[in-house]
Amino acid sequence: MLTINNLVKHRGTDKILSGISFKARPGRVTGFLGPNGAGKSSTLRILLGLDHATSGSALINGKPFAELHNPLTTVGAALDGFGAHRMRTGRAHLRWIARAAGLSRSRVEEVLEIVGLTNAAGKRVGSYSLGMGKRLGMAAALLGDPQILVLDEPVNGLDPEGIRWIRTFLRERAQSGNTVLLSSHLMGELAETVDDVVIIHHGKVVADGTLEEVIGNHSTLEEAFFALTSEHAGDVV
Amino acid sequence: MSISSSKKITKILGAELDKLVSLPLIWLTLIGTFILNLVLAAAFTSAGLQGAAGTQSILNIGLASMGYLQAGFIILGISATCSEYTSGQIRTTLTVIPWRGFQLSAKHLALAVITIPAAFIIAASGILYTFMMMRDTAVGFEIDTMIETLVGATGYLTLTTLLSAAIGALLRRTTPALVMLLGYYFIISPLSRDFLPNYFPDTAGYYMYMPASNDEINVLTPMQGTGILMLWTLIFIKVAIIFYRQRDA
Repeated sequence: MLTINNLVKHRGTDKILSGISFKARPGRVTGFLGPNGAGKSSTLRILLGLDHATSGSALINGKPFAELHNPLTTVGAALDGFGAHRMRTGRAHLRWIARAAGLSRSRVEEVLEIVGLTNAAGKRVGSYSLGMGKRLGMAAALLGDPQILVLDEPVNGLDPEGIRWIRTFLRERAQSGNTVLLSSHLMGELAETVDDVVIIHHGKVVADGTLEEVIGNHSTLEEAFFALTSEHAGDVV
Repeated sequence: MSISSSKKITKILGAELDKLVSLPLIWLTLIGTFILNLVLAAAFTSAGLQGAAGTQSILNIGLASMGYLQAGFIILGISATCSEYTSGQIRTTLTVIPWRGFQLSAKHLALAVITIPAAFIIAASGILYTFMMMRDTAVGFEIDTMIETLVGATGYLTLTTLLSAAIGALLRRTTPALVMLLGYYFIISPLSRDFLPNYFPDTAGYYMYMPASNDEINVLTPMQGTGILMLWTLIFIKVAIIFYRQRDA
């Protein structure tokens, strides 16, 4: 369970987050939506202990990220960018992560196989395409076979086959009782994958509920999103 | 310390070692420094063969390249910490090892593990080359003196590497860190040596490996030099850890 409670983040005089609260529950895929600059990445970064909150809390199973005993086996995270040094090979990148978590090298080969990157594992990350970089990020997130996945724009840069794979994969993870939180700006794709939706705008939650609740009277999630994030949108759904 | 903490530290240290050895830039820097040192040793030895040589002369000539050699170790230290900020690797690091103080300390420790043998081999290669070329003119060569000098040079290069790594961690970007450190070691320090006391990292560290000549004033013993450079290094590592804990990644 991920619990974001009244999270506030200021950067200088800018208010990035203005007291956002929501939960991502086990057994469900939660989509985290918002326009660029709405505060999605800041929320995920605070949740993962990368950034400090001005106030409020972001907890994983009731604990801040830094208090987790073995983070990699609890939370798998893939944020924007490759998250790996360009001069290192994909396999070497995964191996140091596995070493830090006390995982075997055979697990590295397993996740490379899962994400379809075995043949490119010996190449330097700098030579990877955007899609391959995303797969490497997914491989790192899956190394510890975690109960929780936090993914920032996971389908960005993937080919149709990759998008289909990730959709099926995330659905299966949720069905087996895991928690999945993903941000995306691809509404159509998100509507196919998520159970619950949280929409933020200008650092505030403007919608939080099941996919059906958030879509409400609108015909699609995309229409609901634009209605909720337009400048004159109403209160929280 | 509990078994759990000790296992955790071992895993983090192992991961940091893996990171360093799997980064080609680290090996390129070390190999480049080794080759450059041999070239400089050959040049200084060739010049030294023109004059009278004794034990001290061989050590002095063999370590004459230290001033230039340290540039390679400064680059090594900066690369170790600033490489975290390339392609967002720091985000992966902190989601795998969120204990920032432990992680940065382990990185410095892993760097020391790699630097100590590398610095010893590189410094020894310069002395060995000089010894082989000048042994016919060497009188009463003292092996103890050579070992002490080599240990001092290894210590100096290792502490300089760790200091550079701490400054790299503070600045987080390779170019500013390189400009600052190379600017200090190769421009500011040499120009201000006559005016400033011997308490700066390079001037104090000099006495770790180079015995002071009798006509020098304000000389330090090798132990004093070691203590002062170690203090500078620990202070910078501590400051880097404080900032690392407080800043957003």
